[in-house]
Amino acid sequence: MDKNNKLAKWLNDEMTPSELADFQATEDYALYEKIKNYSSHLEVGDFNEDKVLETILKQEKSTPKSIPLYKKWFIQIAAVLVIGLGLTFVMQNYSSVTQLAQNGEKTTFLLPDNSEVVLNSGSEIQYKKWNWDNNRALKLQGEAYFKVAKGKKFEVVTNLGKVAVLGTQFNVKARENRFDVTCFEGRVKVNYKNAELVLTPGQSVTFENGKQIKTTNESSKPAWLEHQMAFEKENLNQIIAEIQRQYKVSIILKTKKTDALFSGKIPTDNLETALQIIGTTYNLNYTKTTTDKIIFQEK
Amino acid sequence: MTIHSISNTCNEIVFSSFFKSQAKSLRNFLFYKYGNKDQAEDLAQEAFIKLWQNCSDVPIEKAKSYLYTIANNSALNGIAHEKVVLKYEKEFSGLDKTNENPEFILEEKQFGNKLLKAIENLNETQRVAFLMHRIDGKKYSEIAEELNIGIKAVEKRIHLALLELRKEIKI
Repeated sequence: MDKNNKLAKWLNDEMTPSELADFQATEDYALYEKIKNYSSHLEVGDFNEDKVLETILKQEKSTPKSIPLYKKWFIQIAAVLVIGLGLTFVMQNYSSVTQLAQNGEKTTFLLPDNSEVVLNSGSEIQYKKWNWDNNRALKLQGEAYFKVAKGKKFEVVTNLGKVAVLGTQFNVKARENRFDVTCFEGRVKVNYKNAELVLTPGQSVTFENGKQIKTTNESSKPAWLEHQMAFEKENLNQIIAEIQRQYKVSIILKTKKTDALFSGKIPTDNLETALQIIGTTYNLNYTKTTTDKIIFQEK
Repeated sequence: MTIHSISNTCNEIVFSSFFKSQAKSLRNFLFYKYGNKDQAEDLAQEAFIKLWQNCSDVPIEKAKSYLYTIANNSALNGIAHEKVVLKYEKEFSGLDKTNENPEFILEEKQFGNKLLKAIENLNETQRVAFLMHRIDGKKYSEIAEELNIGIKAVEKRIHLALLELRKEIKI
């Protein structure tokens, strides 16, 4: 009788006829039957439902309604994300972008207007993405080649002077006291101290220690883009500095005769040849102490 | 930003007819639990007020389980339990009305009183399930839903209630 809650089945009229017959045969059946019948005539009594309902309907409904907690979280998370993305966007656009080429490296990148820049070894450029199309200005330390997309004035600011162009290709080199600008296409305006001059394709200009040396350049691209360094009347210190940048080596010069000017091209992809050219030209011997340390001394 | 879906529970006609269908059995349920009719009515009213106030969040299909959840949680409020004193319908005077033998009538009366006493002495869970079936005529499945337990558990409570009642009456 205890198994399967039989009494509950019986009370709910769920017993099979054979189960019922068995149950009716038991001693307690009459008593259970009586409990069943008596309990079906129990009551709790009515209550005044209408009055209660009236009371309930008088209550203010709570005003359109609190956002469930998870939705608040969702909104908070969404807000944080939006603010974060916004800040990132602002930072990216307002803060300066820096492009860098370490010694021994060259870096090529595009500006927001797709102008192309190639940074020579040991050079750095800073610019702002924000409103680039209306304010194409960047700061250069070192040497870079520019292929400028057509548009408003494009300005390269260096410690030594300023170069302003419309769409064109040109090279700017500002190292120590020497400032070289070469125009390959279009027109380039160069400001150096109080001087201002315009270069046309094939022309280049060099200022060194306040003096201007004007030369022409016949190639259509700067030599350094073709694995060469081209020098035009430059002294030994400047040449050694360039070799150090290109090859990422350190060179010690044990000579005081550095004033002789060199004009010519030195490869940037063959250190031995480069060192030999310097050695022959300036009558120096060189020794390598380690792979990246070189000493030049007088013969 | 407020997310607000209109629920038909806020409609007075819908709410009123839902109230009429549920109010008495909810009051009864609370009475079986606590044994105090006034308190049961107050608790039932409070549950319906909560439903009305939050009608925009509770669709009418969910309203019943909402009510019973509140009613079941009311146990947490430290309400005093009293004896569940029941009575028979006024016109009910025993099983066999044709038999007017005074001795028989007395026996019937004694049985009726014994049963009420036995029901009083049932433990709460058995009594609630048993009376929801006997007085409110609910199906076991309905009882299970309202008590938030399984049908098997309801059957067990009722089975045990009957065993207990028989034992009490036989003494």
